[in-house]
Amino acid sequence: MMAVIIRYLLLFVITLSVLICFSLALAHMFPGDPLTNLSGVTTENAKVIEHLANKWAIDTNPIHYFMNYCSLLLQGDWGISTISGNQLAADMARVIPATIELSIYSAFIAICIGVPLGCIAGIKAYTKIDYSINAASIIQYSTPVFWSGLAFILIFCFQLKLFPLSGRISVLFNIPHQTGFVLIDIFLAENIDRKAAFMNCLHHMVLPSLAVGLVSAAALARLVRRSVIDVLNKPYISAARSRGLPFKTIFFNHVLRNSLLPVLPLAAIQITTLITNAMIIEVLFSWPGVGNFLLQAIYQQDYSALRIGMLVVSTLVISLTIFADLLNRIIDPKKGSVSDVSI
Amino acid sequence: MPLLDIKNLTLEIPHEGKLIKALDKVSLTVREGEIRALVGESGSGKSIIVTVISGATPPNWRVTADRMTWNGEDLLNISAERRRTIMNREIAVVFQNPLTALDPSVKIGAQIKESIPNELVVGKYFWQRAARRKKTTISTLHKVGIKDHLGVMNSYPHEISTGIGQRIMLAMALVAQPKIIIADDPTRGMETKTKTQILKLLTKLNVTRSVAVLFVSHDLLAIASMANSMTVLYCGQTVESGKMKNLKKRPLHPYTKALIDSAPSFRSDLSHKTLLPALSGSIPALQNVPIGCRLGPRCPRAQRECVNVPSPRRIHEHTYSCHFPLHREKR
Repeated sequence: MMAVIIRYLLLFVITLSVLICFSLALAHMFPGDPLTNLSGVTTENAKVIEHLANKWAIDTNPIHYFMNYCSLLLQGDWGISTISGNQLAADMARVIPATIELSIYSAFIAICIGVPLGCIAGIKAYTKIDYSINAASIIQYSTPVFWSGLAFILIFCFQLKLFPLSGRISVLFNIPHQTGFVLIDIFLAENIDRKAAFMNCLHHMVLPSLAVGLVSAAALARLVRRSVIDVLNKPYISAARSRGLPFKTIFFNHVLRNSLLPVLPLAAIQITTLITNAMIIEVLFSWPGVGNFLLQAIYQQDYSALRIGMLVVSTLVISLTIFADLLNRIIDPKKGSVSDVSI
Repeated sequence: MPLLDIKNLTLEIPHEGKLIKALDKVSLTVREGEIRALVGESGSGKSIIVTVISGATPPNWRVTADRMTWNGEDLLNISAERRRTIMNREIAVVFQNPLTALDPSVKIGAQIKESIPNELVVGKYFWQRAARRKKTTISTLHKVGIKDHLGVMNSYPHEISTGIGQRIMLAMALVAQPKIIIADDPTRGMETKTKTQILKLLTKLNVTRSVAVLFVSHDLLAIASMANSMTVLYCGQTVESGKMKNLKKRPLHPYTKALIDSAPSFRSDLSHKTLLPALSGSIPALQNVPIGCRLGPRCPRAQRECVNVPSPRRIHEHTYSCHFPLHREKR
């Protein structure tokens, strides 16, 4: 197991260095001065420029340049935003938790809806129930997420007036920024009605999480359905049936586990889709996450923010993928060999 | 009264719009405490019979029978719940390949514990019952000849060998204290030593606990010494059925004779370097079986009458279906 973890770590480090290389290349590929794109400082002052060139080691050999960049990234000195002048590290600490929060809620919804629906469709395979679940999932999966998000807003916010339109929590609640996860921050905050704030927050997150979660739920349901059908035809299930075990026991002890095992790595691929969708939905619901942040950066041609945003999001995706793979390895007793570690 | 009594069981499987008779009027009885061998070449429908008895048939298979009873209860017309209880408590099936018949993601100990029916577990609190289950599991593992019970209980099915796996399947069958063990070719692909151990184990269980055994195999040599009686199957038809020693000494059906002759150990008069007798040809595929007696095209004694299905004839305990039986020439 240790060897596997070390192997994953190495893989993580190598992939990360490639990404860092790419983000460094971005600074040179974007229009404008590479130094401005790296540091975010726009100035004509020769002394300041010299200091910055020194700090980012821009005129040294490429290896030193890259190592210096890595060390600055590790120190948390990510440069400042060209437009707002904020420290990018602080900006990221503010927006990334919001995105992760939305992704977690959506993943939760995807699992809570997708897995049971997939199981039902798999058990009732090739019946009307199966066909209707299948049809619903295809329709949901093929609907673009921004369109279904807009439809949700139109129906639930404007016509039915059931849910609030935007944001994470009503502006009336003054929640100081501590962890960045608003549900946790509510419980850390002082002098507010925590219960009311909590309910308000839940109310706000229903629509965006549903919009993102349903797409992944549809994909997950189809994966689980296929897998359940496969497992139900396995000889050990007929063996369990011939042993006279009740179907409930067979399903929960043998079918569920064996059908979810092959789904897990496939679901891990869905994490990328989930985060991308979350970033799109953030824009629709004015959720203060990294998607919104990046879109603003694109509009304002804030190249230093774009460079860091891309790096942070891809690091997040890689870490989650590796984590899911590692989890799969821990759960699945059959996977033991070190050699097939990969992303 | 026989424990398991099957009379004229017919199974039809839909295939390309037609119904194929996979089993054609098969009759089989197993008495209490008896070891009955069910013999036939590959493709003769032995495993299908096991599937039909265990009730795990796909919904589109059509099973009809004049009689298919378990201890007097009609297996074809009882509720699913009652059928499940019977399968759980009274009939145990040991499958061909233990490594696919065990759940790959659950430890073996847990799988054996799961097979113990709740009624057999005493104890007021859950921890008492859990301890009881563990005790039963360990003692059963010892009974089937596994000494390292902890090692086996803590391993996953992919970590054990086929021989151990087959013992575990037997242990899973035994924990329910069944009245009959249906062993579907449990010694397939095993080397002689392990095979003998498994066979000895089954015989011992039969003697000590008077468990009836329906032993399905194509390995005549292996079962000739242990079985009391034998049913020979050819291409979904029962060919001959009776006491083992009668069948061995004086087979009436040409197919039984060919089967016995092809096993050299039964012949004492075989001279040096003679070719072993064997029926030419091979068993027909289910899609195009011959009409009448299905052995017809391969049978050395076949005549025109063989295009009609021979009705089973009975002499004492010995039943055969042949128009021109050996030793009983028409006068």
